[in-house]
Amino acid sequence: MLAAGYDLWAFVSEYHEELLHGLENTLKVSAVAIGGSYAIGIVLGAARAHRIPVVSQLAAVYVEVIRNTPILVQIVMLFYGLPQLGIVLDQFTVAWLSVTIWGGAFQTENFRAGFTAVSHNQREAAFALGFRPLAAFLNVTLPIGGRIALPSSINTAISVVKNTSLMYVIGYPELTTTALNISNLTLQTTEALTVLGIVYLALVWSLSASIRVLEGHLALPEAR
Amino acid sequence: MLPDWSGPVAHYVLHEGLKGTLYVSAIAVAGSALVGILLGTLLTIDFRPSRALIRAYIEVFRGLPILVTVFIVFFGLPAIWTGLEFGPLNAAAIALVLWGSAQVAEATRGAVQSIPREQHEAAAALGFNWTERHAFVILPQALRRLLPPLVSLLVNIIQNSTLAGVIGGLEILQAGERQSERLTAVPPIGLGEIHAFEIFAGVAALFFVISFPLTRLAAYLERRLV
Repeated sequence: MLAAGYDLWAFVSEYHEELLHGLENTLKVSAVAIGGSYAIGIVLGAARAHRIPVVSQLAAVYVEVIRNTPILVQIVMLFYGLPQLGIVLDQFTVAWLSVTIWGGAFQTENFRAGFTAVSHNQREAAFALGFRPLAAFLNVTLPIGGRIALPSSINTAISVVKNTSLMYVIGYPELTTTALNISNLTLQTTEALTVLGIVYLALVWSLSASIRVLEGHLALPEAR
Repeated sequence: MLPDWSGPVAHYVLHEGLKGTLYVSAIAVAGSALVGILLGTLLTIDFRPSRALIRAYIEVFRGLPILVTVFIVFFGLPAIWTGLEFGPLNAAAIALVLWGSAQVAEATRGAVQSIPREQHEAAAALGFNWTERHAFVILPQALRRLLPPLVSLLVNIIQNSTLAGVIGGLEILQAGERQSERLTAVPPIGLGEIHAFEIFAGVAALFFVISFPLTRLAAYLERRLV
């Protein structure tokens, strides 16, 4: 039972401001979370790969807890569970924080694998040249291992973008929430879902196309 | 000792919620494996139109956020035709099959193509036709490589079955939310107390207990079989 005839153009032209604002929020949360999760992933991934005592074990626990519980439970915990302990976070904070924590765990695993794949000889050569451990990491392990981890890390970044749609459950007005709210008022469900489908596919497909381009440019010489 | 309120909450989450989670997960895993292996095998046939169609299916359902696919199945399909109306649990299961089968199809293509040409040729020489060749010779060998990704998929599907709760389906997380709301109500319905933190921690622990052994199993199979 269509409320009226299917008219995608009328829907978009009438609500493009709200929808664009929703998209802006989606991109804002995604950008913060992608940046944050890369930072967590590189630091904790390095701690895991170099078996830095205590930090490495704590990072392992963090990764396993996040990977083995649904992200929806994590979001609900932050938004509806924490206030009981007196920690009240607003929707935007929960939105970026939850996907950052989630993405950080996956990026830790990606970069751990990347850094571990860097051969010992490379680091030893750096030490022999007088690099201190941190300098060896920044100049040798990070550039080489980071490139190895790059494709899988972009996949995680794409998942981060897709997971921002889950902020629907806390009512944060990103794209999904915005489109669904409009369709609840106007019953233009099919139009709203079409918009969501097109926008998310455009976002995700252009990000995965960027993997291929980046892979070509950043691949290690021997992999080319 | 556990507090008095926890007994009924745990009972509801385990008897009502877990049932929904297992129902959705079972359909989703079986459907994803079936559809995915079929599509993935068909994807190895060198026939442009069928390959393009299957590629499009894979890219669309891997690209969409699963929540959007859930909404498309739950709200979108009935709007197109009333015969396509599903309950929340079934709608979530169908959405997870669309997503999961796309993942399995991609993995199957790789697994089938990793089987050496000679196996195809030997089977053909023995008089097997295309279907028999794949059913009796290629797929049984490809299955070895498919097992680790299928176990990982199971973990992902169990976790994503929480999406059924977003459209009102009763699964573990939804059961926890309902109980947490009930307890905040004034007596005699509830206790007028907030126990959201403990309940959601319990829900998280339950998912962890289910998922962790499976993630370990997937990692073990990966080392052993691939």
